Parts: sequence; C-alpha cells; structure tokens
Amino acid sequence: MASTVASEYSNEVKNVPIEHQFNPYSDNGGTILGIAGEDFAVIAGDTRNTTDYSINSRYQPKVFDCGDNILFSANGFSADGDALVKRFQNSLKWYHFDHNDKKLSLKSAARNIQHLLYGKRFFPYYVHTIIAGLDEEGKGAVFSFDPVGSYERSQCIAGGAGASIIMPFLDNQVDFKNQYVPGSHGTERRKAQYLTVDEVIKLVRDAFTSATERHIHVGDGLEILIATKDGVRTEYFPLKRD
Amino acid sequence: MAGLSFDNYQRNQYLTCSTNTKAQATSTGTTIVGVKYDGGVVIAADTRSTQGPIVANKNCAKLHKMAPKIWCAGAGTAADTEEVTKLIGSNLELHSLYTSREPRVVAALQMLKQHLFKYQGHVGAYLIVAGVDPTGAHLFSIHAHGSTDVGYYQSLGSGSLAAMAVLESKWKQGLTREEAIELAADAIEAGIWNDLGSGSNVDVCVMEIGKDAQYLRNYRTPNVREPKQQSYKFARGTTGILSERVLDICQVEEQTVDIELEA
Amino acid sequence: MQAIAERYSNQSALVKELQYDNEEGLSNDFVNGRSQFSHLAPHIALPPISTPQEFLRAHTDDSQNPDCKIKIAHGTTTLAFRFQGGIVVAVDSRATAGSWIASQTVKKVIEINPFLLGTLAGGAADCQYWETWLGAQCRLHELKEKERISVAAASKILSNLTYQYKGAGLSMGTMICGYTKKEGPTIYYVDSDGSRLKGDLFCVGSGQTFAYGVLDSNYRWDLTVEEALYLGKRSILAAAHRDAYSGGSVNLYHVTESGWVFHGNFDVDTLFWEIKAKEGSFNNVVG
Repeated sequence: MASTVASEYSNEVKNVPIEHQFNPYSDNGGTILGIAGEDFAVIAGDTRNTTDYSINSRYQPKVFDCGDNILFSANGFSADGDALVKRFQNSLKWYHFDHNDKKLSLKSAARNIQHLLYGKRFFPYYVHTIIAGLDEEGKGAVFSFDPVGSYERSQCIAGGAGASIIMPFLDNQVDFKNQYVPGSHGTERRKAQYLTVDEVIKLVRDAFTSATERHIHVGDGLEILIATKDGVRTEYFPLKRD
Repeated sequence: MAGLSFDNYQRNQYLTCSTNTKAQATSTGTTIVGVKYDGGVVIAADTRSTQGPIVANKNCAKLHKMAPKIWCAGAGTAADTEEVTKLIGSNLELHSLYTSREPRVVAALQMLKQHLFKYQGHVGAYLIVAGVDPTGAHLFSIHAHGSTDVGYYQSLGSGSLAAMAVLESKWKQGLTREEAIELAADAIEAGIWNDLGSGSNVDVCVMEIGKDAQYLRNYRTPNVREPKQQSYKFARGTTGILSERVLDICQVEEQTVDIELEA
Repeated sequence: MQAIAERYSNQSALVKELQYDNEEGLSNDFVNGRSQFSHLAPHIALPPISTPQEFLRAHTDDSQNPDCKIKIAHGTTTLAFRFQGGIVVAVDSRATAGSWIASQTVKKVIEINPFLLGTLAGGAADCQYWETWLGAQCRLHELKEKERISVAAASKILSNLTYQYKGAGLSMGTMICGYTKKEGPTIYYVDSDGSRLKGDLFCVGSGQTFAYGVLDSNYRWDLTVEEALYLGKRSILAAAHRDAYSGGSVNLYHVTESGWVFHGNFDVDTLFWEIKAKEGSFNNVVG
C-alpha cells in the first residue's frame, strides 16, 4: 500500500509506503529514583500513569515492597513493569518455599532480576528497573537495570521520563560531582559523604517538584519507600496535578 | 523580497528524508475557549507551551490582540499563531484606516481563513477569533486548513475535549458577563488538569459591546509552585577556576570644546 | 536432623547434594547426561511474530531508528595486548543509551576466574550475561576435567555460543585474556558475528581507533610492566578524550603466570590533567 504526498509541483510528488507494524509497546511515563544511605535506602516514584496527552491514573503506585526488605520498581511500559514485579514476587516466594524461608539477599535478588530480564532479550520488557535495600553488611544499596538485564550497583540513580532532569541534580547533590573544596582552586574535589534520611527525603521532594514543573508525564503524587533494618516505611507527598 | 521565503524548503525536505529527524516547532498542546454572553464575548487560554514532553514556558500568553476590540486565542504551532495574528492584525488596521471604520470581526475572519487556505495547512494556526464591532459581538473558530465555525461557545487545542465537556454541560442562553468569565475559566481549568499538553494559569479577555476590551492576564493561578525544601546556594569557590584574566577598566572622560563658537 | 545438619554444615555440601562425591554420580552428570543441565542454559522468549529479528531491530537498534523506545546500553573503548611481561587489559567505564550517559561507573572487565578475564564492549547486557555464563561453563569444565580450562577452549565456548545466535541481534565484542601453563599469556577476540581471533593486540569498541593510534605508535614487545600499564591507561585516556561514547574512568589489569592483578581505577577527569601536566601533551586543550 502507498499514499501520495500531494503537492502542486510534480517533482515533489512522492510515494510513501504506509507501514503497519506489530507494536506491543507503549510508554506510561512516570519517573523513579533510588538513593542509598549508610544504613538505609529509598526508592521514590511519582504516582501518575499516562499515555500520550492523557492521564490514566493520578494514583497508581509503582514502587513495591516485595518482602525481605527489598524495594522494587520497574518504570516505563507499565504492563511490562507489573508483569516483571509479579514474576519477581513469585520467584521470591518459590525461593522461600525451596529454601526454608531463607532471606533473599539483595545481591541475589539483583542476579535473579537479570535473568528475568535477559530471558526476554529478543522481546524485551520495556522498563528501567531499580531495586533497593540493605546489603549483607547492613549498608544501603541500590541496583539499577537496563531493559535487557545489564545491571550495576550505585549510590543513586534515576529512571523513566524525568531521569534526564533529575539525574544531573542527583550527581551534583548526592555525589557532589563538579563541586570543589572552596579555596582549592578546582584541584580538590568535595568529598562525597553519606546523607541522612531527612536530607535524602528533602532532595527527593525537590527533585520531583522540579521534574513535575518541566515534564508533562510527571506529577500528581510522590510516594517514597524507605528500607531500614527495622523494615519498610512509606511516605506520600502530593505533587502538582496540571 | 516580501512574503514567505521557501529557500530552505528543498534542503529541509532532503534533511527529513535522509536523517529522519526534523526541526521541531514549539508546541501543539493547548486549551483555548470562547464563550458568548448577553452583551459580549469572552475568550480564555491556558499558559503552558511544550516541546515534546518538556514544558518550554510555564506562563506564555496565547491571547493575541488583532485590533483593540478583536482578540484571538491561538493553538497549534506557537510561531504561526503569533505571526499570522500579527500580520492580519496589521492589515486590519490598514483596512480600518482606509475605510475610516472600526474593524469588523468578520473581516478578520475572512482575511485569516483566506491566508490559511492559501498555505494549505502548512501555516499551523488553529484560532478562536472573538470581538465586538458596530455589528455586535462575534465568536468564530478557524482551523489551519482554512475552515471556519460559528457558535455560542468554541474550544480548540489538545484540551478542547475536556473544555468542551464543561461548555456543553454548563453553557446556557443569557449568561451574564461574570458567569461567562467563570464558565470560560472553568473550561480552561478542565484542560489544565486533564490534558497533559495544557497547564499552569488561565488568561482571559472580555470584549463587551460599547466598552473597551479587558485583558485579564493570569485571571486564575491554580498552579503556584510550593517552596523548595532547602536552599541550593553553593559556597563561594565551589566552582574550580582553570585560568584567570583581569582586565583593567579605566574611565575615560572627554570634553569637547566648540572652538568656532568660542572664537 | 543430624542428617540435615551434616548436609548443610559440610563445606562441600553442594558436592554431596549433587552426588558428585562418588565417581558414578559425577560421570553421570558430566559425561553421560549433560542434558540434565539444560536448565542452566536459559530459556529465551521470542515475540509471537514471523520476523523476530526485524522486530528487535525496529524496537532496540538506535542506529537504525533513532526514535526507538528501548535504548540498549552501548559504546566503549577496551584494549588488551600481550608483551614480554604478560598481558595488559585496560577499559573505560562509560555506558551510553543513545546520547544519554547511562553510567560512568561500569565494570567492563569480567573476572571469569583468577586466571581469566573477559572484556565487555557492545550490548552491556549481552556481554555481562554471557560472560557470567561463560564463567559457569569454565567452572564446570574444571570440575569435569580436574584442570583449569585453556584460554582457547574458554573463548571457543563463547564463540560457539555467539555463532549459534548469529543474526539474532546480539551485540558484543569481547577479548578473553588469560594465562595457562601450556598456552602462556593468550588473548582471543570473540564477537557477536561469530569471529574468534587469536592475537597480540586488540582494541574494541567505538573508541578503538583512538586507542589503536596511541597503542600502535608506542607498543614494543619488550615494554617493562610499568611502561605497559601506563601505555594501556594512556591509550584509553586518548579514546575517552576524543570519543563521546567513552569516558568515566580507566580500569587497569595485568595478567601474569600467577593470575591477574588489578592495578586500579583512574578517574578520566583527574587523570587527564595529571597526564597533560606530566607529559606536556594534549596541547589542544588550554588549561
């Protein structure tokens, strides 16, 4: 099939084939971010779910407490994200059945998720995944994954629609990138140090209100899950709804 | 040369074909409405302009003045709505001077639609034209290809469905000025909340028969940003200085003496 | 209870569990029936359509379709070369997805075992996944043959794998570097087309040309270990400087007859000014 791009000038008439292709993906917007502290870790996500210019939901949580102190969020195409969370929760359940309710370490959870993602290497989950919790030493830990399962541990990471707005802010305010010790004339970098829970929540709130201002797929509400040795705590803050 | 320049047309066509990327014009997402009431007409717009999913301007003005009592709300390509209203506005002024009459809304409508039709939709302006003239109050909408509509209430832009839902359920014959303003603003708010292409504030313009037009910029501001959690001021010296150069700026005073005058 | 405690307290509990402590069980698994290990070979799902390759390309290949939604991490400079003192392996640490820098702290050298290293270029997930898989295969070989796998054999396991998947859309360019008694220090280049080349010197990735430029002009067989490590680091720095898709930091390794040794992580920004001052090079940059 072909359509003709009409024009009064004959030399500009073109035949453009109309392509119809199987497209099982869509983008449901939203943003997530994970930060690791000394003895805690958080994942925050906005609660807006969109397609194109429409809001599907103003409160659709996408950060989950999967048990064993593991926080999980898969941002992007929400059907794939939900499927992945369900598969991971199921995998965790079977791990408990098979191993006498042994706690799944975050490191092992990460490796398991790599296999879930890479298992669909040729039909990928369209998601950016972040998990957080405490490592074997009780230190805060965050792991982030690309759509097909390459993963890495990091101090802080943002994913989803507003990642490009939030990540530079995090680099600067969490890792103190591009900040130098005053008086050293740009020779001595400002040392990164662990932030407290309160400081992290302040940064997260400012990151999300800023992303809400400038990105149309971010907004409505902010849900922060905080994992400490005492368990998981949730905080909610409303965001702008326009 | 007068008129539009098509110098880059072929180049852009080539670029679109060979790189499958093209220069993106700012914004298609908008909500604009117009409402007639007894004795006048009111138009309103949101103030968000976008480039893809990014908000380019949080408080832009989408209500354009074409003549003192003929105003126009624009959706579509931001540059096109601005330029086409400016161009037709100038011609309207010349026409008014030539005929020694107040410009009429139907004249603006005709000039706009003929211009847009000529460019076969390539000038991407979707407009709601409203105003008062010696023949009364008028409200029209125009699409980029040149078609026009008449009605007691109109809405255009990506938020037009949300806005029209409000207009269809609340508009009635014989609205007062205040009711019309509130209805128009409510319709825009529907777009602001429910359409991602629209947001921030509500601008309103009221044109009443026998009175000057009233432009109510930021008539409603339902989206004021909450204060930030902390200050992000950097300590002085945080940015490394790689090299430094100091320029001596000297003040030069000159005195001019008119010799002839003195002599 | 005692039985359970014994099963799990013993350091070789796994060996017992799998019945590898008796010769019969061992040969049953490794000699007669490798099919029992099919669960180790992963199951990979395919989209329910006639042309999965085209589908994958349309949705993930950003060079073919810049608007594609799924951007897979790409872009790298890695190098490895043989010299008198063993092998030097140097890599950068940047991961990119389109024009977005996904990470500046990627580990692009995979430590397969104390004598084997794999480098990572191309699709980050492909390399990470299959090289970890290769690590498992090498371990199985060790258990079965009671001796460490040769570099030739290890690289061949990987190249057989990539050849099987040829055309499916994998993207990887890797170097398997290691030392064995019979081979000495050895480098094999293996990529997703199925190529497997033995050689003395390779640079792989989007910044390879820049690295080759420095490496080729300063390389000698009789480089000292210190010189060789510096040359590896300097070549990656040159690539990180000129290739937008490479950067972050440099990771340095040295492979000798007693295994590999990690020689540090060097931030490219710090390293650049340090080397510029020391060498008087990079005069294109005013600082």
